Amino acid sequence: MPTTRRRLLAAPALLPALAAIGTRGAAAQGAPVRGGTLIYLEQQTYTNLYPPAGGHYPAGGVLNQITDKLTYQNPQTLEIEPWIAESWTVNADATEYVFRLRPGVTFSDGTPLDAAAVAKNFDTYGRGNRDLRHAVSEVITNYQRSEVVDPLTVRFAFRAPSPGFLQGTSVIGSGLVSPATLALPFDQMGDATKIIGSGPFVVARQVLGRELVLNARRDYAWGPAKHPHQGRALLDTVRIIVSGEDSVRVGALLSGQAHAARQIPAFDENRIQGRGFQVFAPPTRGVNNSITFRPDNPLVAELAVRRALLHGTNAQEVVDTLFSPNYPKARSVIASSAQGFVDLSDRLTYDPALAVRLLEEAGWTMGPNGVRQKDGQELALTAYESPNYARSKDTLQLIAQQWARLGVRFSVMAGDLGSRTVDSLDPAKTPVAPAMVGRADPDVIRSNYHPRTRNMLLQTGGVSRRVQSFNDPALNALLEAIAAEPEQAKRLALVAEAQSLIIDKAYAVPLFEEPQVFAAAPRVRGFGFEAVGRPSFYGTWLAAR
Amino acid sequence: MSGATLGLAPLRALRLPPLGLMLAWAVVAVLLAWAFVPGFFAWQDPLAGIAGRQLEPPSFEHPLGTDGLGRDMLARVIHGARESLLGAFLAVSVGLVFGTALGLLAGARGGVTDAAVMRLVDTLLAIPSLLLSLSVIILLGFGSINAAIAVGFVSVAHFARLSRTEVLRVRRAEYVEAAFGSGGRFLAVLWRHVLPNAMTSVLALAALQFGSAILALATLGFLGYGAPPPTPEWGLLIAEGRDFLATAWWLTAAPGLVVVLAVLSTERISRSLGARRT
Repeated sequence: MPTTRRRLLAAPALLPALAAIGTRGAAAQGAPVRGGTLIYLEQQTYTNLYPPAGGHYPAGGVLNQITDKLTYQNPQTLEIEPWIAESWTVNADATEYVFRLRPGVTFSDGTPLDAAAVAKNFDTYGRGNRDLRHAVSEVITNYQRSEVVDPLTVRFAFRAPSPGFLQGTSVIGSGLVSPATLALPFDQMGDATKIIGSGPFVVARQVLGRELVLNARRDYAWGPAKHPHQGRALLDTVRIIVSGEDSVRVGALLSGQAHAARQIPAFDENRIQGRGFQVFAPPTRGVNNSITFRPDNPLVAELAVRRALLHGTNAQEVVDTLFSPNYPKARSVIASSAQGFVDLSDRLTYDPALAVRLLEEAGWTMGPNGVRQKDGQELALTAYESPNYARSKDTLQLIAQQWARLGVRFSVMAGDLGSRTVDSLDPAKTPVAPAMVGRADPDVIRSNYHPRTRNMLLQTGGVSRRVQSFNDPALNALLEAIAAEPEQAKRLALVAEAQSLIIDKAYAVPLFEEPQVFAAAPRVRGFGFEAVGRPSFYGTWLAAR
Repeated sequence: MSGATLGLAPLRALRLPPLGLMLAWAVVAVLLAWAFVPGFFAWQDPLAGIAGRQLEPPSFEHPLGTDGLGRDMLARVIHGARESLLGAFLAVSVGLVFGTALGLLAGARGGVTDAAVMRLVDTLLAIPSLLLSLSVIILLGFGSINAAIAVGFVSVAHFARLSRTEVLRVRRAEYVEAAFGSGGRFLAVLWRHVLPNAMTSVLALAALQFGSAILALATLGFLGYGAPPPTPEWGLLIAEGRDFLATAWWLTAAPGLVVVLAVLSTERISRSLGARRT
C-alpha cells in the first residue's frame, strides 16, 4: 500500500449520537453563509497551550482551531486521512515513518510549514525539552530522532516499534506550531497570542481567564483533504467566553446571548431540545469515567476491599439518576466505541451481598457508628471532585451513598485547584480518584495507567514523590507492550488483556462512557467534532435567523 | 409617630417586647430545635436519596422537592441547622475566648504589651476576612470544625478591640483601684472585678458575630471548604442547588431564605442586647 501500510481499525458501529451529528452537518439546508461571529461558551479556561497539554478540554478546544495536524482522523470512520502530510509510509515493524508534506503551507507568522518545522515539532514532542520544561507527549513512545530528507519530506525513526504514532500525529497533542513558539519556555505558553499555528483561525486577542477571540485566516487553503469543507473557515470570528456556572451557560445559550456551549448538564438536555436547540454528544472513545484506587494507601491495598467496592458500586443507578441516554453504562475499562473494547459486564456486576461478604472475610467488621473497622482503623476513604468530568461531585456523592450501605465512609472534597493538585498526588490523602481520558487509539489505556504518563493508580516511578512502594510490573509490562506491538490484531489482544487485568485486580470501577455534551442554537450549522469530541469550527456557519 | 402606632399603645403598656424581636426569638428557637432534634421535624433521611426520584417539584411527600440525587430537601435544610449552628457557636466561642483574653491582657497591662497586641490586632483587621479564613483553612485542612475555627479566628480581632476598650474604661474605675489598693493580686482582680464589668457589650458583640459566623460558614461551605458532602450544610445546599436555578429554583431559595432569617434574627436579638446595656 503506497499511502498507509496499516489503517487503524474503523469502529464498526457508531453511536447514534455521532451519526446524528454527521447528518445534521451534511444536511444543513441552503448554501453555507460566510461571515459572522460565533460566541462559544467554555466551562473552564485553558491554562497552558503547549500542544501535548491539549488533553485538557478547554485547551484542546482552542488548539483544534489554531493548529493543523500531520494527519486527520476522520471522526466518523476513525480512518487516518491526509492533512498536512499528503502521503506517508511506515516500515513493517513500525520503527520508521516517512511523511510527504503538502507544499505552500505557512504558519500565521509567515514561516513555512516545511519538513524542518515538522521535525522540530516532533523532536520536541517526542523527546521533550528539559531546559524549556517541555514535557514528552503522552501519545508518542520510543521516539528516537527525525531526519529532513528534502524540504517536503521528513522521516522519523523509533528505538522500538511505535505503532500508535500514525494516529498520534492526528491528535490535538500533536498540533504543529511555529518553531518560534517552540522556542518559548513552557510557562509562557499560557499566553494564547504567542501560540503560532497554521490552522484556520488565529488568536486575535485574549483576556486571560475570561475570553479569547479567534479570527479566520483569510489565506487558509489546506484543510484536511477529505473534509467536506475546503478553503478558509466560514466564520469570520469565534469568541470563546469562559463561563464556569452550568446554569449560566445554558441560560445564556437559550436566551440568545451565545451560539454554542460545552459541558451541558444531563438534566438540561431535554429542556434545551424542547426549545428547538441542538444537543451533540460526541463520544470520547477512551478510558471510561471511572473511580480509580491508589493501592499505595493501605486501606485499598487489599484486593478484597477493592473488589468489594467494585461490586458495591451501582453504575446503573449513577446513570439513571444523574445522566441521560447519551451516557451509556460502562461495560469495560474503555468505552464501547474505543478500539480493542471487550465486554466485561459480567465481571462488573452490582452485587452488594458479595461486597459485604468480601469485606467480612477480609476482616473488616462493622464498627459502632456504621463504618467498618479493622485493627482500630476505619474504612474511610476520600476523593476530590474533578470539575473536568461531567457532574463529578454528584457522581461521587451518589457512590458515597452506595458505599455507605456497605459500611464504608467516602468523603468528597471540593477545595481549590492548588490543594486538589497537591493532594491528588498523595495516595495517603486521596486513596480514590475519579478519572477518564479520551483518545481514539488503543494506546489510551497505557496513557491513563502507566506511571510515566497519567499514572492514575499512583505507582512508583511517576511524577508523585509521595508514593511509598506500590508498583505493578505485570500491568506496566502489558501497557508497554500495547505501546510497542506493531501488529494491530496482537495489539488489540493485549488491550483486551489489560482490561481484564485492571478489572480482575479491581484497580478501577468503570462507571459510564463519558461523551462531551455540547449545545448549539438552531441557526448554527456544521458544528464539527474531532475524533474524541473537541469542537471544530472550521466548517461551522450561521444560518440567517 | 402617627396614628398607626397608637393602636399598639395598650400592648406597650403590657411591656411586651417589639413584635420583630419576638419573631426573631421565635426563628432562633425553631432553628435550635432543628439543630437538637432534627428527626422530630424531618421524617426523611437527609443523606440517602432515592434513585430515580431526583429533582421532583415540591409535593406533599417532599414539601421542598428533592435534590439532584433524590434526597428530600426539607430534611436536608433541617438537618443542616445542626452543622451550621454548631459551627457558628464554635466560631463565636473561639473568637470570644481568645479575643477577650487578648483584649483583657492589652487593656489591663498597658504599655508595651498593649502596643504589641493591638498592632497584631490591626494587622488581622487589615486582611480581608474571607481571605484570612481561607488561609487558615488551607493550613488546617478542610472540614466543618476547621471551617468554624477559621471563621472564629477572623473575629478574634473584633473581640480583642472591643474588650480592650471596655477593660480600659473599667480599669481606672475607683473600685478597681480600691481592689488593687487593698492588696488584690493582678489576676484575681482582673477575674473578679474587671472581667464581669467589661463583658456586657462583648456579649452583645458575640450575638452579632453569631449571625456573621453563620454567613461566613455558608460562604466557606459554598466554596467547598466546609463540611464535605453529603453532610447537609446551608452554604453547601445553596451551592449544590445553583445548577438547577432554571428548573428548580426552590433548591437554592429555601436554604438561602433560612440563612437570611437566621442572620437577621440574631442581628435583631444582638441589637436588643446592646440596647439594654445603656
